Amino acid sequence: MSRRLAARGLTLGYGPHDVVHELDLDVPAGRITTIVGPNACGKSTLLRGLARLLAPRSGSVTLDGTALESMRTIDVARVLGLLPQTPVAPDGIAVGDLVGRGRYPHQGWFRRWNAGDDRAVAEALEQTGTADLVDRKLSELSGDQRQRVWVAMALAQETDLLLLDEPTTFLDINHQIELLDLLTDLNRESETTIVLVLHDLNLAFRYADHVVVMKAGTIAAEGAPIDVIDAALITDVFGLACEIVPDPVSRTPMVVARGRHHATGARTVATGTLPTPAANA
Amino acid sequence: MTTLVEPRVGVRAHRLRLRRRATVVTAALASVACALFVVTMMVGSFPLSVVEVVGSVLGLRDDPAVDFIVRELRLPTATAAVAVGVALGVAGLVFQKLLANPLASPDFVGVSAGASLFAVSAIVLFDLGSAGIAASAVAGAMCAAVLVYALAWRGGVSGYRFILVGIGIAELMLSLVAYVVSRAEQLEAKQAMKWLVGAVGQSGPGELRLLLVALAVLVPLALVLERALRTLELGDDTAAALGARVERSRLALLGLAIVLVALSTAVAGPILFVALMAGPIAMRLLGPASGGGLLAAGCTGAGIMLGSELIAQHALPIALPTGVVTGAIGAPYLLWVLASANREGRGG
Repeated sequence: MSRRLAARGLTLGYGPHDVVHELDLDVPAGRITTIVGPNACGKSTLLRGLARLLAPRSGSVTLDGTALESMRTIDVARVLGLLPQTPVAPDGIAVGDLVGRGRYPHQGWFRRWNAGDDRAVAEALEQTGTADLVDRKLSELSGDQRQRVWVAMALAQETDLLLLDEPTTFLDINHQIELLDLLTDLNRESETTIVLVLHDLNLAFRYADHVVVMKAGTIAAEGAPIDVIDAALITDVFGLACEIVPDPVSRTPMVVARGRHHATGARTVATGTLPTPAANA
Repeated sequence: MTTLVEPRVGVRAHRLRLRRRATVVTAALASVACALFVVTMMVGSFPLSVVEVVGSVLGLRDDPAVDFIVRELRLPTATAAVAVGVALGVAGLVFQKLLANPLASPDFVGVSAGASLFAVSAIVLFDLGSAGIAASAVAGAMCAAVLVYALAWRGGVSGYRFILVGIGIAELMLSLVAYVVSRAEQLEAKQAMKWLVGAVGQSGPGELRLLLVALAVLVPLALVLERALRTLELGDDTAAALGARVERSRLALLGLAIVLVALSTAVAGPILFVALMAGPIAMRLLGPASGGGLLAAGCTGAGIMLGSELIAQHALPIALPTGVVTGAIGAPYLLWVLASANREGRGG
């Protein structure tokens, strides 16, 4: 059932500049893939390219072997969904109305709203815990409620693949975890293939089955986080001196930055004399 | 699955509530417009009753005197007011939704200014009649729109760029209008100024017929494209991800809105503020049911035009052109929009 999304020799860019260079990628079907990398490394551009929002300069993006460009965009939209980083909503739109618009690719000139659409919207609201908000205005909601509503809209699209561009950026840490748990549930329960661009490395390594580390428009490393992440890679890609320790909860790689003021062992919690500023802040 | 029963009922109920509200509001706006349509034809130097007006319009009575007053004198003006109002209301809301800005109505982004420049040139430089003026207005609106679209194009057209380029083009056109008028002889200058104020029924029946045909074709088309418009107002990326053909739908919607504005300008001159006000008023009345709204905006536009026409012709000691009244209503509205946009930090 799972669909295979892949890039071959993919070059993407805006204006005179290429942002992504001849990139090859196979998105593992039915898994969670996170894309990380420093600012301007092309991770959001890659996501837009994978979602056919940006046409390739050369190379191609394929879905089950067929180039996206040669498919009807509405057919792609039934299989592949994308939540942009900062989606916009018209003033005064109600939650139910917004989530319902996720049904667009399943409707058409003759096929208007039916019970199947109601079911899809209800399930999306239920999965994201926003069923009680259906009559509320989006503008009245808190940031995390709003983000869950947007995810609900993407879920109502009922796609096998879901791409999300930094969905946790404006959320408090507790809501970041809730959202990532929610996406993990979705992946485990309905085998939805999920691709996330994430800023927080430790969360990206924790939630990913497959991580793609990008540097200057190319892939510096990819694979299971535990296999590919080490201090040398992070130092190379982010220019950050760091240690990699196992995440005490998930045993996944956790990046602990060094910084200039905290040489190893110079000030330790063990002495009990100095409070250590959060090392990963 | 049992847990899903309740929200599913909630979703259905929510959808039906929105649909009911949209139906009620649109029907109410249409009723108001119809009532004003009849009232406009009742008042005047020879007052008529509702029965006489309706009977004559529908051809149910045989009274040559009343028929002459209604069908020959008042019906064309009232029809022009409705047609111009619907065209401006629909076109205004299409622009505002596409460009996600309450100020982005066609009279602000250069379309009306382009029509004005060409029409005034037709009057002053080429001494054309009403059909020529109307044709020039249409050509001018198209030229301005194409110019704005081309200048704002960077592999796609974003809302802000379109508005800023549009305002620039509008200013350019208006300064050229001033230049052309300054070159005119007294009589032509007066005619040009009169056209620029805007009045219902200042052109011949040919232009009105053209506008009515355009409405009959383009309003249903706009309602079909409203489905795509509902995705476009979520931003280009979301719309594209949902499978909408973004540039094609936007071009079709902009194109039909521009044709409507151009033809309504040909009929009544550059009537200001109706396109700006009609959509937001309809949206406010629709509230959460504002997913649709083009039909409601059209009815609102018709209502504003008829109301302004009534005030312009009958409520004041001297009869004024319609454009003066819509301007008098619209200017405070514009200030209110600017003030509330600034308060909300959206910067208009």
